[in-house]
Amino acid sequence: MERLREQPIWLTTAISFLLLLLLWEAVTVLGGYDRFILPGPADVGQQFLIVATDGRLWRHTLITVSEVVPGLLLGFGIATPLGYLLAKSPLAERLLSPYLIASQAIPVIAIAPLLTIWVRSTFWSRVLVSVIVVFFPILINVIAGLRSVPTELYELMHSLRASQWQIFRKLEVPAALPILLAGLKVGATLSVIGALVGEFVQPKSQGLGYLLVTARYQFKTDLVFVVLLTLAAIALAMYGMVALLERRLLRWQENE
Amino acid sequence: MSRPLTILLLALLLFAAGCAAETAEAPAELTHIRLPMGFVADPQYAPFYVAVEKGYYAEEGLEIEFDYSFETDGIALVGANELPFAIVSGEQVILARAQELPVVYVLEWFQDFPIAVVSKEEAGISEPQDLIGRSVGLPGFFGASYVGYVGLLSATGVSPDEVAAEEIGFTQVESLLAGQVDAVVGYANNEPVQLRAQGEAIDVIHVAHYIDMVANGIITNETTIAENPELVHRLVRATLRGLADTLANPEEAYEISKQYVEGLDDSRMAVLEASLPMWEAPVLGHTDPKSWERTQDVLLEMGLIDAPLADLEGAYTNDFIRDNQPEE
Repeated sequence: MERLREQPIWLTTAISFLLLLLLWEAVTVLGGYDRFILPGPADVGQQFLIVATDGRLWRHTLITVSEVVPGLLLGFGIATPLGYLLAKSPLAERLLSPYLIASQAIPVIAIAPLLTIWVRSTFWSRVLVSVIVVFFPILINVIAGLRSVPTELYELMHSLRASQWQIFRKLEVPAALPILLAGLKVGATLSVIGALVGEFVQPKSQGLGYLLVTARYQFKTDLVFVVLLTLAAIALAMYGMVALLERRLLRWQENE
Repeated sequence: MSRPLTILLLALLLFAAGCAAETAEAPAELTHIRLPMGFVADPQYAPFYVAVEKGYYAEEGLEIEFDYSFETDGIALVGANELPFAIVSGEQVILARAQELPVVYVLEWFQDFPIAVVSKEEAGISEPQDLIGRSVGLPGFFGASYVGYVGLLSATGVSPDEVAAEEIGFTQVESLLAGQVDAVVGYANNEPVQLRAQGEAIDVIHVAHYIDMVANGIITNETTIAENPELVHRLVRATLRGLADTLANPEEAYEISKQYVEGLDDSRMAVLEASLPMWEAPVLGHTDPKSWERTQDVLLEMGLIDAPLADLEGAYTNDFIRDNQPEE
């Protein structure tokens, strides 16, 4: 165990990935499943090569990514100032939070078809589903981040006669950033689910959701798996980018 | 042991034995069949409701549970031999066999491929050639409606490039009424009925009038046919009786359907009436080998399968309907 921990990260990742593949293969072989019920890693790999080389996978992936990225950015852009307002103003919190919390009880799959009618643009209606999904976890983390700033630090800033802007920039932003970024990580992975839900209910989308539906229709379970793994890869990439951003922004923490 | 006690014990023993004999003579237990239907509860399933209500399934020792989940699930479950039967669309059988699902089609319920192109009368689209240069709304570029649409164009020599096909989701009635598209593709026993109910004068192009493709029917799997053919015979026999009764007496069938379709009022009788002609056949449930070849050709043309099935004849059989035709 100790020796494993000393290995470079790429090696441990590769080992865990190999173990996962072995476990998967073992389940398909020992369980005696047909290929259309549970394809093995080899079937999925073969299907991956087919759709990757004929360009289909990339075409559908690009479309989904083009929905995921604006979904996350917009969700972040709306949730952050609103979260700041709710954290700072007890009145705003009292007025808005019951509705915000209640809205989380509405399954997005139920309103997604309506969104496609309300929002005339088919592209933006799919992005909007993604925005709705990422909005809440980011909002909650913004509020939690700001609330986590110790009162003594505010008192210190006040005693130093800091302006509101200075308090915001020198105290609140750095103090809330770790929790806010954690929320952004959750939002990054959820944005992929949001875009996919949008694609399921919204025709005219040729994203990965479309590929998933047609693969199911053709009983190509191996292709279904290729799509699922691609979605997972997108989520991982989004998460990784936020993690990189986090490392840059929170470098000061490491120095402490 | 005193005599009265012995007599009492003997009497008790005899009584117990009698009870045991009685249980043994009780009717054999019914075989429970969960049947995936492919759509929500609807009056078009009247033949099945009739067969249950009139006890035809029970006479065959079957107890049917209607399962209204999506048809792909039904095929996968039958293919994996988790369930013995499902109701599915014909082209799905070929797609499934192309992926090695050992499903076999045993009863062609819909003799006509039930897809139709519907337009407002004023658009003047009464035959496939009229679609050239027009916009057509489809639920999506997959499923039976898309297969029917491509089959229609292919059979009539209209190139898909000459028609502006659009994905509109399941909003055919709204899109047509709002004038967003010139025509829509839907089910011959659904969208036209809904539009006429709203007082709209419409033209309907039935795909089945131009090309004979395999439509909805009952599938089983190769294991069930090999190991328990009698079960297939029993299900087919009872279903054909329900079908014959529904064709002979649609009003009665509709009344029976009311017990199975929640909130069904008289307004949907038109759905059943529109379905009846699609079920009629000289030999009920018979499937035509040529229609399988045509369906396969359309799927090849669409690129939904890469090559013809090595064993297309293995996808269907008329063995079960032949001996089980209802008596006149």
